[in-house]
Amino acid sequence: MMLEPGIEEKTFYLNLGPQHPSTHGVLRILLEMDGEFIANSEPVIGYGHRAHEKMAELRTYQQYLPNMGRVDYLHALAYNHGYCLAVERLAGIEVPERAEFIRVITSELNRIASHLLWFGAYLLDLGAFTPFLYCFDDRENVVDILDRVTGSRLTYCYFRFGGVRDDIDDEFIAGCRAFITRLRSRWQDYDDLVTKNVIFINRTRDVGIITPEQALKYGVTGPCLRGSGIPYDIRRSEPYSVYPLFDFEIPIGERGDIMDRYVVRLREMEQSLRIIEQALDKLPNGPIMAEKVPKRLKPAEGEVYAAVESGRGEFGTYIVSKGDTKPYRIKLRVPSFSNLSIISELIKDTLVADMVAILGSLDLVIPEVDR
Amino acid sequence: MLAEQIRNSLEKLELEKVAAGDYGRTGYHVEVAAKPEQITAIAQVMLEQQCFLESLTALDLIESFEVVYHFACFRELCRTVVHVPLIKGKTAPTLSSVYPAADWFEREVFDLFGIVFAGHPNLKRLILPEDADFHPLLKDFVASS
Repeated sequence: MMLEPGIEEKTFYLNLGPQHPSTHGVLRILLEMDGEFIANSEPVIGYGHRAHEKMAELRTYQQYLPNMGRVDYLHALAYNHGYCLAVERLAGIEVPERAEFIRVITSELNRIASHLLWFGAYLLDLGAFTPFLYCFDDRENVVDILDRVTGSRLTYCYFRFGGVRDDIDDEFIAGCRAFITRLRSRWQDYDDLVTKNVIFINRTRDVGIITPEQALKYGVTGPCLRGSGIPYDIRRSEPYSVYPLFDFEIPIGERGDIMDRYVVRLREMEQSLRIIEQALDKLPNGPIMAEKVPKRLKPAEGEVYAAVESGRGEFGTYIVSKGDTKPYRIKLRVPSFSNLSIISELIKDTLVADMVAILGSLDLVIPEVDR
Repeated sequence: MLAEQIRNSLEKLELEKVAAGDYGRTGYHVEVAAKPEQITAIAQVMLEQQCFLESLTALDLIESFEVVYHFACFRELCRTVVHVPLIKGKTAPTLSSVYPAADWFEREVFDLFGIVFAGHPNLKRLILPEDADFHPLLKDFVASS
């Protein structure tokens, strides 16, 4: 910002968080303000550090599974999936096809729940209260469906090495189909209520632009990256499980602003519905657990990196094994960490009100950043 | 093939090891081992090839450290892993001038392992409190389980 000659430059500090409603967790951002504009900023993280990576070294492979639902509690099943995938690769476990289908169905349902929560909470950040009630009403359906099969409503621990814990039944399938019909009938409402809302458009169009170059240098992934026009989705780019069997699109944006990220997430939910629909149609019969998975898993010496697409981007699990029942080291590459690291660049020279809009649009789960 | 291009460009740097990886088993297409002073040149090659820094972490191998870099690409499936052995007490050069993503990753590794990245603009604790006097991911740090 330019100051008139003769006026002394004065900045002051504004502390945002760690208990600020728009940070969705305990994130603190130290803002250096030049009047109403942000001159510099520094995120301070770590308030929710639970030492997940240290815990991995103290537990057996199986004992570490419940941790996965707690790293990112909003899309817990993707984290179940990522960790199981890495361990299965390391130990050479084959997963039966029916189990893979169930993994995809539940994981996509969970993705929809995650996106719906973002949708509601984000609009709440922007001051719109009503959409929150609509999408929590819809989300409640998903949570009920997943509750039936996984036994919990959040922090799922449903996947096992070599399959899943329980089989799905006809009631689950009927519930999914009813949900698909219900959510599809809602798109029009969401568009009328939010997407075409002039206040929403003015607050999000051309605000918080992430360029493809920035995304590359910061390692931004997920809807934040796809909003900038790069069709990178692990489900397509690095196919895992049975995703290659399904027909779905990778929605992308053009400008990389908040609006594009919003549209990408909204359209992704429809693609998830398509995947679920196809998976239900093609669902094979058979076992849901691999045979002969050892009770005490002791993978050979070596290392593995496996990635899955979570609701926020690429979740990677890096495991180093020294041939013991406990992992030697597990590194969790969490998408929110990289997506948050770009924030100082995005909010430079913007208003505080825009900063709240930009921060929310990254769909951060702070406990995931802290681990 | 991107993996081949990367291998060809990296071979010019005379690294300890540049080899094709076994993707089905490890998830890597290219496996590299290098000395700490070579990592900046490697990162520049990876950026030229439009790869992003996926993860940066370290291993405490008791006698020494190993810094592990993962690179992947938005355009084509190709993951490169770079293992950099590091003698305890020595520093590794920072990548934050090439990849801003490395800024936080290196701060995290410094925080949890105590590895110093030379030239880092803001090397201070990231996750633990500023006044913490331990590095929890070291193997000799005993946590109560």
